[in-house]
Amino acid sequence: MKHYKYQLCTLILLLLFFVLWPSMALAVQVHGPPEGFVVHIMGHIFFTSALVFLIYILHKYPIDNSPAWKYFKVSIFFWLIWNLDTFMVHILSIRLPKEAIFTGSHIVYTKLKGPFDLERLMFYFGKFDHLLCVPATYCLAMSFRAFCKRVEKEQDEAGKNAHLI
Amino acid sequence: MIESLPLFPVYVVDFVGALLMVIFSLMAFFYARRLTILQPKSVLWTYMFWFSMALVALAVSRGVGHTVRFVLLYMGLPRLWKDIAPFSGGLNTITFTSVAVLTFYYSNVRDVIDRVKEDTEALYQANLRLQKAQEALRRLNQNLEQMVEERTKELRQSEKKFRGLFEGSKDMIFFCNKDQSTIEDMNPSGVELLGFKSRQEVIGRPFREFFLDQKQWEMFRDEICGKGHIKDIEAELVRPDGSTRNVILTISVIKDENGKVRGCEGIGKDITKMKQVTESLIQSEKMASVGQLAAGVAHEVNTPLGIILGYAQLLEEECAENKEALESLHIIEKQTKICKRIVGDLLKFSRSSSDSEVSKIKINDCINEVLAVTEHSLNMDRIYVNKNLDEDIPSIKGKKEKLRQVIINLINNAHHAVEKEGIIGIWTEYSIGDREIRVVIGDTGTGIPYDIQNKIFDPFFTTKGVGTGTGLGLSVSFGIVKDHGGYIKAQSPPKDKRFKDAGMETVMIIHIPVNGENNADGSSDP
Repeated sequence: MKHYKYQLCTLILLLLFFVLWPSMALAVQVHGPPEGFVVHIMGHIFFTSALVFLIYILHKYPIDNSPAWKYFKVSIFFWLIWNLDTFMVHILSIRLPKEAIFTGSHIVYTKLKGPFDLERLMFYFGKFDHLLCVPATYCLAMSFRAFCKRVEKEQDEAGKNAHLI
Repeated sequence: MIESLPLFPVYVVDFVGALLMVIFSLMAFFYARRLTILQPKSVLWTYMFWFSMALVALAVSRGVGHTVRFVLLYMGLPRLWKDIAPFSGGLNTITFTSVAVLTFYYSNVRDVIDRVKEDTEALYQANLRLQKAQEALRRLNQNLEQMVEERTKELRQSEKKFRGLFEGSKDMIFFCNKDQSTIEDMNPSGVELLGFKSRQEVIGRPFREFFLDQKQWEMFRDEICGKGHIKDIEAELVRPDGSTRNVILTISVIKDENGKVRGCEGIGKDITKMKQVTESLIQSEKMASVGQLAAGVAHEVNTPLGIILGYAQLLEEECAENKEALESLHIIEKQTKICKRIVGDLLKFSRSSSDSEVSKIKINDCINEVLAVTEHSLNMDRIYVNKNLDEDIPSIKGKKEKLRQVIINLINNAHHAVEKEGIIGIWTEYSIGDREIRVVIGDTGTGIPYDIQNKIFDPFFTTKGVGTGTGLGLSVSFGIVKDHGGYIKAQSPPKDKRFKDAGMETVMIIHIPVNGENNADGSSDP
């Protein structure tokens, strides 16, 4: 477990480094405003391809049909849909004219103005991405919970039978 | 026609969804961590742990981002949110990039693990096969041990059986090696037969040294090498004390697994006593038949001889003046007396001598008395008498005259053998073990040729010239000694080292038992 702690600490330090001192990278090379967006989009593509790959692996080497794996597969499916959704919303947000969003004096009055074609409707409904990522996270938690129970049960049975050996 | 759609519901869903994501991702992280604790070596749980870690980071960053945005926008601070928003987005990018990297990485690790698993399975199968082979080997070994044990038991029993036969046999059993036919092993009967006390004394000696006649051994050896065996062949073996034993030998060669001669093994049966008895019987038969014949002839011839002698003497008185006739009559008288002496000897030989009294005799006295008479004659021919008389020998019961006659006969024979200038050796001794007296009379003469040694006791067998000997001396002597329960043996050359050292070429050994009762008292048959 020490091993994981060290890796966790390193990861957190790296994240803090990049978050608190982003200009350090700029000292080496100038990165203009669209780069962040492009990187983010590329990250989504990378994540999507990883999930597709994971689905492919699970399909090619099926493990079992237990609830744990079922939850896991559903979770992966939701994450994939979420990725596609956010990717779409990011692209549509660029295409959306600035005046399409009325900010008003308060957040309560913020609106998406018409006329509403398919693109604007997709943008509007695509913004509800939490309806995808929350179930994905929930299924993942349930999957791990089921795995955990299964392992505990196996270890309990092994412990009970130990005296028989 | 709708003119606008409010974004506030979107923000509310984002706000609530972000909170739920944080909660669920923390749950996932908790279970993933527990899995790594339960099964720390599982690569899958490790991957899940890091996967959940990245998702937690994503959920937290998004959750915090959305919450902060909602709060800031709600508070009317959109510019501040604009400053923070890139950090939130960057963090999101990093987290799901990490999840992607982990996923690809896990796949590679999984491949490696699959290969390791395959190798492990192969090793496991190999181990199973090895275990099976070990089991088979163990069973085989167990069977082999049992087989060896059974075979060893059989061999032990066989060894015991043959060892018993070897050790307990009353015949000589021996094993010789190839080199010089050296004795490798011999049973106790064989050791005793050859006159040794222990097996160690015999082992290592060449077998040939026990043969009296070396030419006979060489003949045997050639036959064994040629035919592979000899069967029921009679041989005379000599013992360290000079005595001999007659044995019947059966010898076979021993070959190794390649057919090479390794040595020989044999059995020897002691027939010495049987041979002595046989010879004695033959001699007795001869004596009996000759005695009967002689008695008949002597009886028939004795009367006419008496008449011839009587008339010859009468005629001598009547022809006292006729010198030529008288001389002829003297010759007739002399020759008739010679004939009467021969006839008398024949009668003595044939009859059981009862005309001499049985008394206690000291054999040394007999010898001295005979020497007193014959010494002058021996001295004339420069023959020296070497006397070795044992003073402690016991007396025997017998007929003194007869025994004296035996000694005279043997001394006379020795005298004739030496002729002039030589030694006559006389030994007397008592054998406590055999309870017998031995009188040895030897000479330094020419010895007795081997081919006539069996005939010297035959009646009328003589090597002396005509008129010098009748050929009855030794026969009569043999008969007298036999009457005393003993026997006479001739050795030429002598086997005993003492006699050899004294220069003797021939020795005549008289064996007379000291049993008191049966010595020539007339009770034993001749």
